[in-house]
Amino acid sequence: MMNSLLPTFLQIPGLLMVFGALLVPLLPHAIRQIWMLAIIAVSVWLCWGIAPGVHMTTQLAGLDLILVRADAITRPFALFFHIAAALNVIYAMHENVRTTATAGLAYAGAAIAALFAGDFITLFIYWELTAFTSVFLILISRSERSFAAAMRYLLMQVSSGVILLAGAVILWHSGQGLNVQALDASTLAGGLILLAFGIKAAFPFVNGWLQDAYPEASVTGTVMLSAFTTKLAIYMLALCFAGTEILIWIGAVMTLFPVFFAVIENDLRRVLTFSLNSQLGFMVVGVGIGSELAINGTVSHAFASTIYKALLFMSMGAVLHRTGTAKASELGGLWKRMPLTMIFCIIGAVSISSFPLFSGFVTKSLTIGSVAKEGYFVVWMILIFASVGALENSGLKIPYFSFFGRDRKFEVKEAPLSMLIAMAIAAGLCIAIGVAPQLLYGILPYAVEYNAWEAGHVLGEMQLLLFAILAFAFLVARGLYPPQIDSTVLNTDWLLRRLLPRLTMAIARPILSVWFTALQHAKKLVMDGLYIGERASQQTGLVSGVASTGAAAGIFLAVFALLLILLFSM
Amino acid sequence: MSHSSEKPDVSPAAKRLLIALGMICFGLIGLEFIIHRHAYFALEGQPMFFVAYGFVAFIMVVVGGVGLRKLVMRAPDYYEAGNDDE
Repeated sequence: MMNSLLPTFLQIPGLLMVFGALLVPLLPHAIRQIWMLAIIAVSVWLCWGIAPGVHMTTQLAGLDLILVRADAITRPFALFFHIAAALNVIYAMHENVRTTATAGLAYAGAAIAALFAGDFITLFIYWELTAFTSVFLILISRSERSFAAAMRYLLMQVSSGVILLAGAVILWHSGQGLNVQALDASTLAGGLILLAFGIKAAFPFVNGWLQDAYPEASVTGTVMLSAFTTKLAIYMLALCFAGTEILIWIGAVMTLFPVFFAVIENDLRRVLTFSLNSQLGFMVVGVGIGSELAINGTVSHAFASTIYKALLFMSMGAVLHRTGTAKASELGGLWKRMPLTMIFCIIGAVSISSFPLFSGFVTKSLTIGSVAKEGYFVVWMILIFASVGALENSGLKIPYFSFFGRDRKFEVKEAPLSMLIAMAIAAGLCIAIGVAPQLLYGILPYAVEYNAWEAGHVLGEMQLLLFAILAFAFLVARGLYPPQIDSTVLNTDWLLRRLLPRLTMAIARPILSVWFTALQHAKKLVMDGLYIGERASQQTGLVSGVASTGAAAGIFLAVFALLLILLFSM
Repeated sequence: MSHSSEKPDVSPAAKRLLIALGMICFGLIGLEFIIHRHAYFALEGQPMFFVAYGFVAFIMVVVGGVGLRKLVMRAPDYYEAGNDDE
C-alpha cells in the first residue's frame, strides 16, 4: 500500500509510533530523543501520502473492518497531531523520564491511528488505547491526588469507549453497518455515539474530567494531554455529525460557561483547561453549522488552537518547573527572571485572543463568520462574548499573574533550553499562520473564500480586544479585579466525586440494611438447625463432633448459593 | 484560603503603557468614521458596537466570575478533607 519496506501492520498510520514507543524505555536518553523524532518524521511522511478513500481492510469474526481510511479533513488533523507530538518530545528533552516518553509517543500514535479508523470497532480499539496510554501521564505525578484524578479520568474515558461500542453494536444491528459515517443524533445509536464523542470533547456536564485530570499530570504530561483526546473527538464529530443543529447550541454553551470558572480559578494550568474547553466550543459550533466555511473554521481552529494551547501549557509548565507552583496567588514578577518564557507566553496569549497577525484571528474568524452567514444572531453574540472571555482568561490573566502583577521575588533561572526551543517553534507557528494564513488554508478540506483581513473586520476585532483590555486595566488600577484565592472551584466533576457516591449510598443503605438483617436471620436459622442436629447426633450418632464455625459457614454458603441459583433461574 | 489582593503600584512605565492604550483606543474610535464595517446583523452595524461590547463583555465576564465564586468556591482541601457542602 503506502510503503513496501514496512510490515503491513506498521503501515497503519500511528501504529509505527505505538510500536516504536515499546523500544523507548530500552534506549539511552540521547538516542531515545532521536528515535522518537525519527519515528514521528517517518509517520508524518506515511500519513501525508494517504489520499482520501479506503486503503486497508480486513475481516474479523465475520465483520468487515476498515483499518485505514482518510477523509478530506484527515490530513490537516494528522499533520497537527504529528507537530504536537514532535513539540512534546522536544519540550520534554530536559527530563529523563522513560514513562512519560513512552506513554506520550504511544498516546500520540493511538490518536493518529484513530483518525484513520474507518469503522467504529477499529475506532473503539484506538479510542480506548488513547485512554490507557495517556493515563500514565497523570499517574507519573506519583501523588495520591494525581492517582485519584487518573482513576476518574480513566473511568470517564473508558465509559466513553463503552458507550461508543454500544452505539456501534446498535448501529450494526439496525443494518447500517459499522463504517464511520454521517449519523442521525436522534436515533439511539447516533445518540449514544454522540454522547461518547461528547464525553471526550468535554461537552457541558461531562467536562469535569478535563479540568480535574489535566492539571494533575506532570509538567510535560499536561502539554501532551492538551493536544490529542479532545481534538480527536472534534474530528469524529465533524465526520459523523456535521450539520447537526443541536451542536450549535451545545458548542455555544461550551464557549461560554468555562470563561466564568476560569476567572476565579487560581491554578493557572487549570485556567488553561477551562479556556481549552471554551475553545472546543467554537469547534463544536462549527461542526453544528456544517457548511464548508464552518468545517474549514473547525479544522483550522483545531489546528491553531492545538499549537497556541500547547504553547500556553508549555509556558505555564516552564513556570511550574522553575518555581514549583502554578498558582496565581503565589506567582508574579517573573518577567525579569524568565523573559523568553514570558515572550512566548504572550505570543500564545495574543494568538488565543485573536489579535490580527496571530493564528487565532485567521482561524476563529472562519467559525464566527460562518455563524453570522447562517444568521444565528444569539450564537454569534455568545461567540463574540466568549472571545472576550478568552482574552480575559488566557490573554491577560495568565501572563499578568505569572510574569507581571506583584513581584514575588523568585530567584529562578530561565526555562531549560529544550523547553525554550519547543516554545519558540510553537510561537513561530502561531505567527506564521497569522501572517500567512494561506499556508493553513491550503490544506483545509474546502477552498477558503473568506477574507479575514477585510479592513472593517480587522477594525471591529481591534476595537473589541483593546476596549476589553481597557476594561481590564481599569479594574486592576482601581483594585476591582477579583483577588486570586487559593481554593477549590467546584466543577461538574463534583457530580462524580460527591453526588454520585452519596446518591449510591442513599439508595444502597436501605437495601444493605435489609440484606444484612436477612443474613443475620439466615445465620441464626442455620445455627439453630446445627444445634438441633448436634443434639440429635449425640443421641443417634448421625452427626458426630462439634459444629465448627467453618462448617456453619460452609452450610450457610451452600444455602445462600441455592437461594441465588433459585433467584436467577426464575 | 490565602488571598492575593492585586492592588499593584502603577509604575511610570505602566502609566505610559496605559496612556498609549488610551490613545490607541481613541484612534480606533476615530477609524470607525473612516473605515466601513460590513455587518451581518443590524446591531453589529451600529456605531461603536465592538467598542461597547468589548468593554461591557469584559466587565460582565469578571462580574459573572465573582458571582459564581459565591456558589462554587470551597476550601483548597475540599475533596481531600471530605467536607460536607455548606
